[in-house]
Amino acid sequence: MSLTRADWIVLICLLAVQPWLYTHFWNGHSGVADHAVITALGQDTQELSLRHDQQINISGPLGDSLLEIQGGRLRFRDSPCHGKQCIHSGWLSHAGDFAACLPNRVSVTLVGAATRYDAVNY
Amino acid sequence: MQLTPTAEDHRIAWLAALAIVIHIAESALPSPLPGIKPGLANVVTVAVLVRYGWRTAAWVALLRVLVGSLLLGTFLSPTFILSAGGALSSIIMLGLARRLPGRGLGPIGYSALAAQAHMAGQFGLAYALFIPHIALLNLLPILMSAALLFGVLSGIIAATMLKGLATATPGSNAQLLH
Repeated sequence: MSLTRADWIVLICLLAVQPWLYTHFWNGHSGVADHAVITALGQDTQELSLRHDQQINISGPLGDSLLEIQGGRLRFRDSPCHGKQCIHSGWLSHAGDFAACLPNRVSVTLVGAATRYDAVNY
Repeated sequence: MQLTPTAEDHRIAWLAALAIVIHIAESALPSPLPGIKPGLANVVTVAVLVRYGWRTAAWVALLRVLVGSLLLGTFLSPTFILSAGGALSSIIMLGLARRLPGRGLGPIGYSALAAQAHMAGQFGLAYALFIPHIALLNLLPILMSAALLFGVLSGIIAATMLKGLATATPGSNAQLLH
């Protein structure tokens, strides 16, 4: 199993590239979120820009869920549900991030500018 | 008019058949993650490259993808397009790697490079054509590392195979050596 000098150079270069791949692609830059799409039972879907800080009440079967937008991020601040899973989801900031309050039938998805497809199926 | 196949045609056919068998056997293996598989058919490509040159290797690799897809029923499906894109990328990379000065690369270097090119090309194609979702990029580092690992392993297998071929008596594998 003799490796030539070129083999070694190629292998070392390829090995050196691997950590770069991880730091480059895993730094959480999975798309800057541009706006939030809010879905609630029995209501039209609404889109909210993340550029303006605000708090908004979304009414559901249990009562009002309070969403807070601040500095390009969004979170469930309060919700009348039992488990508070939605609040524990914390801040959403990347395109594709998702949180829902299932008992109150409210869900939020963050969307970036470049979303072209919801899903592709074959 | 009659076409008379040359010795090289026979050789390509035999080697492509070998690669196709490996390709199909491997497609039955379960994969831990979509996109990761050992790529053992590339052992044949690399061994052919070292022994018979780039032209024969390109024929063998592309015939394998074509015939493999016909036999598996994936011809012209996304699977086929990704497979062909990967094979094309790795063949182009091997062509470039052949031009390195000096003693050049051995099977392990070729195989590692080809595996990386295969994965990069395939991933680029998948991202551009089928799943243009930014989250897909999170998979890329894992896929590239897996490709490097399997590329080196395939290279070791190819090196062992070439050593075996070099010491084999000409009569025992007449078809391959022709």
